[in-house]
Amino acid sequence: MAKINTDKLFPENSISIEEIKSNIEKALALSEKLGASDAEIVFSINESTGIQFKKDIIETAKQSLNAGYGIRAAVNGAVGFSGTNVMSELENTLRTAVASAKVMEADPFFKNFPEKAAYKEVGGLFDDKIVEMSLDECIECAADMISGVKSVENMIPTSGGFSRSVSYFMIMNTGGLSAQKKGTAVSGFADVTTQSGEVSTAYDYDVSRKKDIDFAAIGQNAADLAKKSLKGIAVGAEKMPVIFHPFSFADILENTLVPSVDADSVQKERSGLAGRLGEEIAHSDLSIIDDGTLNGGISSGAFDDEGTPTQKTRVIENGFLTSYLYDSYTAGKDTVKSTGNGYRYSYSSVPGVDFSNFIIDFPQSDIIAETKRGIYVNTVIGAHTANEISGDFSIEGRNAFLIENGEISKPVKSVMISGNIFEMLKNIDGAGKDVRSVGGVVTPSVRISEMSVIGE
Amino acid sequence: MDQIQYYDANRIEGRSMTIIIDNGKLETISRNSSKGTGIRALCQGSWGYTSIDGETDLETGIKNASELAASMNRTTPKERVVLGGAPKRKVGSMPVIKINPEDISIEEKVELLREIEKHAAEEGIKSTRVSYSESVLTTRFMNSEGEEKEYSTIKSGFSVSAVAAVGNNYQAGRESRFNIAGYEIFEKNDPYKLAKEAAEMAKSLLKAKTPKGGAVPVILDPELAGVFTHEAVGHASESDLVLQNDSVLSGKLGKQIASPKITVIDDPTLHEYGYYPFDAEGIPPEKTVLIKDGVLNSYLHSRETAGVFESVSGNARAQGYAMPVVRMSNTYIDKGDASFEEILEDIKNGIYLIGSRGGQVNTGEGVFQFNAEKGYRIQNGEITDLVRDVSLSGQTLDILNQIRMVGKDVKLHAGHCGKSGQTVPVTDGAPHISISKATVGGA
Repeated sequence: MAKINTDKLFPENSISIEEIKSNIEKALALSEKLGASDAEIVFSINESTGIQFKKDIIETAKQSLNAGYGIRAAVNGAVGFSGTNVMSELENTLRTAVASAKVMEADPFFKNFPEKAAYKEVGGLFDDKIVEMSLDECIECAADMISGVKSVENMIPTSGGFSRSVSYFMIMNTGGLSAQKKGTAVSGFADVTTQSGEVSTAYDYDVSRKKDIDFAAIGQNAADLAKKSLKGIAVGAEKMPVIFHPFSFADILENTLVPSVDADSVQKERSGLAGRLGEEIAHSDLSIIDDGTLNGGISSGAFDDEGTPTQKTRVIENGFLTSYLYDSYTAGKDTVKSTGNGYRYSYSSVPGVDFSNFIIDFPQSDIIAETKRGIYVNTVIGAHTANEISGDFSIEGRNAFLIENGEISKPVKSVMISGNIFEMLKNIDGAGKDVRSVGGVVTPSVRISEMSVIGE
Repeated sequence: MDQIQYYDANRIEGRSMTIIIDNGKLETISRNSSKGTGIRALCQGSWGYTSIDGETDLETGIKNASELAASMNRTTPKERVVLGGAPKRKVGSMPVIKINPEDISIEEKVELLREIEKHAAEEGIKSTRVSYSESVLTTRFMNSEGEEKEYSTIKSGFSVSAVAAVGNNYQAGRESRFNIAGYEIFEKNDPYKLAKEAAEMAKSLLKAKTPKGGAVPVILDPELAGVFTHEAVGHASESDLVLQNDSVLSGKLGKQIASPKITVIDDPTLHEYGYYPFDAEGIPPEKTVLIKDGVLNSYLHSRETAGVFESVSGNARAQGYAMPVVRMSNTYIDKGDASFEEILEDIKNGIYLIGSRGGQVNTGEGVFQFNAEKGYRIQNGEITDLVRDVSLSGQTLDILNQIRMVGKDVKLHAGHCGKSGQTVPVTDGAPHISISKATVGGA
């Protein structure tokens, strides 16, 4: 198995990190001669293994190596971008970025790429055990998920998989910033269905920076949920309390609230929260923190993908909107400091504002026991169709259950739930004790006092 | 038994450019060049796959993938996979590119995009965005059976969006066009007109009402009916999902599953955005009739699933050099015989749903949810009030059986389809169709 080895990253081509660093330094020096006032080069490499299963058969082992450069060059404040995964093309790629910048008009809002800064180490992001995992160990994790599913009567996986990845990221700019970070992650995903009789499906997944996932539990949880969802009853059209499981609540937040606190959307007046800093927008017990420094957090790091130190940003504090999320450009435009939220999908994409770890804080209690009648929704489909500006959405609740007299009573067939995120934030009236991290959103189950629910 | 019975490789090399103009500002010019290879090897029932960015040595890659497959086969031995369905077909011709976008200067492109944006920036519009992208890609395929072939494509496309707002009421309109085409895409589609339409849509939605939810008769326009066809019917026809019991169409071949008025086709040979001369397994595709007069006629296949079903392949596709997966191409409901007026007349009262903001489907249970861009109330066979925030949900088989009328006006719409973490270009489409009863979500 290939390993990330900082001395020799590309055994076949014999290119080392030191060589890459010196190539970047040379390119940065050249950028000035080409007419760029500022330049920034990132290099990232990701080595990953994936094991996939279909039904209860482990079918495929994948191994991938992704590596490349992303370059930003500024001329009169205009920034051109260019990327490549061909190592020998670094200089040409730089020329392309500079040429693009020259076509663009001057931008007075561009200040500079982030300056050199001191970083605080964030723990729990790298696990040697993940680096060293053998193919057989990876296969075993997938096999554990399958046996977890099959430990529940009449349940079988439809598909799923295990993956491990090791990543390394280097950023340097002409302002003297030079930083490197590395990370590891493992994840497991299982989609299940009934083997015979009525069809009932469910899924579960987990992801961690450490090799500490209980893979059998992923399979078993999904299977249990599918089993409990059998023989669903129909509900009519009703207004009632809805409790969202962390999966469904995170899905809704990511498609509505997250884009609304993105300073880029705010500055372009494409956010329902534009111009509302300091306003009370949520229940007075609700606080939301974006925390790029979270120990072991899925999106944590000592710095963001522009080299800005990460931090804890209070987005909502006791119901009041206290901050938007900024990358270096949007921060310059509002003359504030970047909150360390400049992220890239990959080396080949232009960085932009994104959340890191979004931590939802609300006083916790036994919310199911405190609910006389309501709906509990595990997952939703269609959250990405929400109107992210107005916050309106209409989504299909899946693996939903009726709550009666403080107990989960019966499974419910599909329900359509309509609402608005900003109204929801005001109407949150409870949170469970089941906090979990869902793709960077760290949240408990959350109860909304009243929503419009339509059965089929 | 560590013998490798098959391997193949897809090597991709390409360049792409994206230009974005946002609120009057040239915000992004992004250009990328990339190379890479994806290699698969099959040992008994185990697949090994390796992908490497940049320059790759093919032999080393084949060795890596083979080792992965052999090692998997040792740890988890399983039934031998028999690759089937490799028909000897002629490779079709590529769509003709009239104007190579790389021959047009960036300055000229920027000027055109600015002009497009101006047409969207009407009074009452708060923000606008125009994006353009082009790509030039060469795909080389080779396998252990001695096949070796390549093709190059040029793709271009643009989108324009406008947001209108009054107080806390924000509404968006968006139009996009993509194709396997060059710069002539701006000649075949009037970008100024589309920009105006996006702006008009956003503004009109400000005044629209939200309907009361419930089960009502509906008419779907070609775009939304196309999304339904792709998401609810097309995905459930993908044989990998069928084989893993993740399709509501499992075990239904030859059975009446829809109104006899419905015929659904997937056709990779159409010169549309979902076109390809050969798939990621080197197979030149053909048109597949998925549903014929309401009867489930065929699934879509890769060589592996074609081997199981004793069918033919041609629908294995990949994003770049990722691992090939069974995918759709250009998928649509074939034309029927009703005019739009007849459909309206017939439905009498209900909701006319137009356009799509996306959707999602659970293929296993056959449950779907789509959001329309807008809708109109239909009262006494006439189109009346504009409505917004309308979504459509239901059971796939239920809806297929409740289709009342099928129009003559098939329209295809280009988009991008995601599955297994990969995105591929597709088109989907349909004529206007009417459904006796479907759940429409509102306030």
